[in-house]
Amino acid sequence: MEAGMHATPALHEHDSDDHIHPPPEGFIRKYVFSLDHKVIGVQYFITGILFMLIGGSFAELIRLQLWKPEGAIMSHEAYNVVYTMHGTPMVWLVLIPLVTGAIGNFVMPLQIGARDVAFPWLNMISFWIVPLSGVVLFSTLLYGGAHAGWTEYPPISLQDGVAGALWCLSIILVGVSSTMTGMNFMVTIIKMRAPGMTWTRMPLFVWATLATALMNMIATVALSAALLALFLEHVYNVPFFDPSRGGSPLLYQHMFWFYSHPAVYIFILPAFGVISEVLPTFARKPIFGYKMIAFSSMAIAILGFAVWAHHMYPSGLAPWIQTPFMILTFAVGVPTGIKIFSWLATIWGGRIQLTVPMLYALAFLITFTFGGITGIFLASVPANLHEHGSYFVVGHFHYVVGGGAVFGFLAGLTYWYPKVTGRMLDERMGKIGFWLFFAGLNLTFLPMHWLGLEGMARRYASYEYFAKTHPDSVFWNQFATVSSFLMVASVALLAVNLIWSLRHGKLAGNNPWGARTLEWMISSPPPYYNFKKIPIVYDRPYDFGEPLPYRNLDHETDPYPAPTRASLAGPAPFPAGA
Amino acid sequence: MASAVKPLGLQAVEARYNDVERHYAETRDIRLLGFVFFLISDCVLFASFIFAYMYLRVSAPAWPPFVDGHQLPWFDTAFAALNSVVLFGSGVTMHFALENWKHLNKQKFNAWLLATIVLGIAFLLGQAHEWSLIKTTWQGSSMGASFFTLTGMHGFHVFVGVIYLTVLGFQANRGVYTGSKYFGLTAGTLYWHFVDVIWVALFFLFYLW
Repeated sequence: MEAGMHATPALHEHDSDDHIHPPPEGFIRKYVFSLDHKVIGVQYFITGILFMLIGGSFAELIRLQLWKPEGAIMSHEAYNVVYTMHGTPMVWLVLIPLVTGAIGNFVMPLQIGARDVAFPWLNMISFWIVPLSGVVLFSTLLYGGAHAGWTEYPPISLQDGVAGALWCLSIILVGVSSTMTGMNFMVTIIKMRAPGMTWTRMPLFVWATLATALMNMIATVALSAALLALFLEHVYNVPFFDPSRGGSPLLYQHMFWFYSHPAVYIFILPAFGVISEVLPTFARKPIFGYKMIAFSSMAIAILGFAVWAHHMYPSGLAPWIQTPFMILTFAVGVPTGIKIFSWLATIWGGRIQLTVPMLYALAFLITFTFGGITGIFLASVPANLHEHGSYFVVGHFHYVVGGGAVFGFLAGLTYWYPKVTGRMLDERMGKIGFWLFFAGLNLTFLPMHWLGLEGMARRYASYEYFAKTHPDSVFWNQFATVSSFLMVASVALLAVNLIWSLRHGKLAGNNPWGARTLEWMISSPPPYYNFKKIPIVYDRPYDFGEPLPYRNLDHETDPYPAPTRASLAGPAPFPAGA
Repeated sequence: MASAVKPLGLQAVEARYNDVERHYAETRDIRLLGFVFFLISDCVLFASFIFAYMYLRVSAPAWPPFVDGHQLPWFDTAFAALNSVVLFGSGVTMHFALENWKHLNKQKFNAWLLATIVLGIAFLLGQAHEWSLIKTTWQGSSMGASFFTLTGMHGFHVFVGVIYLTVLGFQANRGVYTGSKYFGLTAGTLYWHFVDVIWVALFFLFYLW
């Protein structure tokens, strides 16, 4: 054996086909414990949507409770459980699986011209932890439920008993899953890009996924550590957060927000990436400021680690700590602004096709910017002290997450649905659904801003005393409740559309949108191995009107893909002389 | 607008793509990078608890803290220093083990690896003794909470490392690793050094600060 240790392996006829494995057989290997990133992406999608239905139902329970100032449908204790079980699954079991898990898994390897992620087994395990943690999370309801909101601040959360410990366990599991996904994606993007795809030729969604993966890899472990400490305090009575034995409740807030502020970027950055793909495709124009958009994603990821204490101004931080965090939080507005203006410049003068993904992307620009601006209010210490405990924060947060991450996700879903299934979504249902969601979101969360500024406190099961001094608040709460059902209708319509189009949608063809990233160069749905020959990349994918920057594609496609029946629904994607 | 086809060195790209050696090296690099990322994230886990310890210590009115009106004693440095030497020594022996593997000297590799495992077990026994010397409990004070959690996590990593190195030793002798394919040994060595480095931080924080 020793003699052969440094022998070089025999050179054999090497072809790219060598690394194509035969597809798995049998239902279990194909659809349940699949190693294929595309199947795993769809699994994440289904799981995330199911949890979204549960989390959304809890949201509607909140809205119904606030129909009357004294609380319409449930006890105050039950209300605490309900808003906890709205926030927790929505953040960890819906947004993160949907934006990083589903879209990231399905699209990213295709866009970099890879056959799979770097560690398919790890990917499978990462996915299966998510439903498991969902089961653990909802099992807390059997033990009376967690009461302390999605942040689970001690000492209140320490009164939750078994439910609190299970809550910690569940989120630790999600954290482990996210961390593994983050490492997997980092390695995939760094090491497995197609030849010729240099850093500045990557599609912008890949840049966004890279920034997200970095945060997943680092910040999520800090969350797991915070919850591990809380878990130890629950189960073994270890005094990390108990002041009577030298612990500090503020320590938990530091540890928690060190993750959970990056977490909001974990769900917004992939949405940024989606928007950067959708806007140039439907404006038929190259993206404006490619490098600025790419690097600002990384800047947001890095700055995101330095702003966590802006969630803690009312907790009594020393002013010398508050001020730098305020300035750093303002600084996050700079890379975000760079993105917004780059996107505006991208669509400026473009030949805009108002398809459903484009509608979501344009709505994203409006609502996300609105949420970002109220975020600047909240970053400022003096304003924050007034607004923090109020519905203003709820409004701000839902504009950023609903109008940002969810619109980005829906843009991505409607954009890549033809690639996933090979069929187009129904355009009319999609447009009705979009307008319902857009109206519902704005009409539900906009009134919360002025309710909050007038002093309506968040997380309260009733607002009797507030309603006595502000009688109009009853109207606005009922208005928000009614409006929120527009979103329910939109989600129902989306579900119908997704299922109906699976059978009856128009055939999509390889490239229904006339887009230029690599995933559109292969069939829809993509074959098991993605690319039979690994393509060679020559340029960025955004130069509309130029020949495609790829060689060695599986089947030489027309550089100007013929418009299909579906893409003809809008203006022709390649008008003469474009 | 940029010209569509840029001069790219197509031949270089294709040569790279068809190169078998390079392909193997890349798969190894992929695993190595993944392992390094795992270590980085593991490092964040320790860093979080180290932050917790520093935060509690700095914000405490007195350190060591008072429990039932009595101030706790400082941790005893002497024995921990001795035990640290054992662990750092195991890092050195592991380095020699891998170097000997690279130089095809399997007997020396086995000897150094065995030495590493023995030193690792010795460190764990030393830690057990150290724990018995501590005057506070896990539940009793923030000092105890941080100390037992951090050294417990570290001890668990050493324990896993001892098992890991033992498995690697058996694998190496069964001929799992050949030629330039010894990624597992590289990873095991990296892991062991990582455990050492974490201990440097913990030793400084608990015994020298």
